[in-house]
Amino acid sequence: MKFKLAVAMLSLSLAAGSAVAQVKPDDAIKFRQSGFTFMAWNMARIKANVDGTYNKEEVIKAANAIQAIANSGMGALFVPGSEKGKGWKDTRVKPEAFTDKDGFAKVATAWVQQSNEMAKVAATGDAAAVKAQFGKLGETCKGCHDKFRGD
Amino acid sequence: MSGHRLLVWDLPVRLFHWMLVLCIVGSVVTGQIGGNYMVWHGRLGLAVVGLISFRLVWGLIGSTYARFSQFFPTPAKVVAYFQGRWQGQGHNPLGAFSVIGLLALIAFQVGSGLFTNDDIAFNGPLQSLVGKDFSDTLTGWHRQASNLLIALVLLHVGAIVFYTRIKKEHLVKPMITGWKDNAEGEPARGGGIVAFTAALVVAAVAVYGASGAWLPAPPPAPKTVETPNF
Repeated sequence: MKFKLAVAMLSLSLAAGSAVAQVKPDDAIKFRQSGFTFMAWNMARIKANVDGTYNKEEVIKAANAIQAIANSGMGALFVPGSEKGKGWKDTRVKPEAFTDKDGFAKVATAWVQQSNEMAKVAATGDAAAVKAQFGKLGETCKGCHDKFRGD
Repeated sequence: MSGHRLLVWDLPVRLFHWMLVLCIVGSVVTGQIGGNYMVWHGRLGLAVVGLISFRLVWGLIGSTYARFSQFFPTPAKVVAYFQGRWQGQGHNPLGAFSVIGLLALIAFQVGSGLFTNDDIAFNGPLQSLVGKDFSDTLTGWHRQASNLLIALVLLHVGAIVFYTRIKKEHLVKPMITGWKDNAEGEPARGGGIVAFTAALVVAAVAVYGASGAWLPAPPPAPKTVETPNF
């Protein structure tokens, strides 16, 4: 847990550092958008299960996918030159994501933490706990949207 | 010139006002927190649709001082007010701006909110009627306008404090009791049970329309909701 956090923080602060292959800005934006869009599918799956008939296995799959994306070191994709530009569509990232590195790392770390917790809770199959944790996870999505994503 | 006790705000206006206060505070708080509170954000939004619709109708057929035609701030009235010549009851010409501005902005907030999505787990009840791109645009406006709304509410409250402390005119008590002390003028008339029922019906229809309950149900989920293991 602590280790995962440290890795997440490190990957964010180092950005496209030494061990990471240099990604072209256009590609970086595409990878970012793909990751977030894929996550949207998995968020919708958890929501559908929480609101409707609960299927433990489905929620586990979705939560694991979100956890994997959150822990993939996406911070590395915020490379210089990708402040503006078009991936699959125009990026909505705010310049603050590149200047306020501490603030960015903070919201991202909260997201990683809550998605780890989401996967843990999903494994228990406790629908009520999953619903509560899903809300907490959603708050961390919003935490970044509000600060680092333009309208 | 000592006046008498005067009925200015009818009961529906007062109930509307204080229910709106609760709903707006609740909407702002739930909107800021997000997460599972978005469910309540949506419910409060629908309540506000009802309240605003009611008030718009009540502004046409309600009692004397509830009517837009009575307090609409014409340039002549505004000039007279600044020159200290304005005499009247109900909303003064500046207060009228506050009322109309808040009503319009809140109407915009609930109107846009119906079509929003937060890219997390919340969709406005009518979101499916517009494309994702336009929904995103409206979501942006909805977010930006919330700051404007907070500012207008603070201005509204600030003005009340100003009138109370500086001009020694108490505005809060009449909005609670309906009565204004030492006032000259005609008491509020009209806005009986028929008008009230009509406004209530319009509000109910508006909430039903905004709730999206009339939209065709999404296709039933397949019996097996499981995805394959690859």
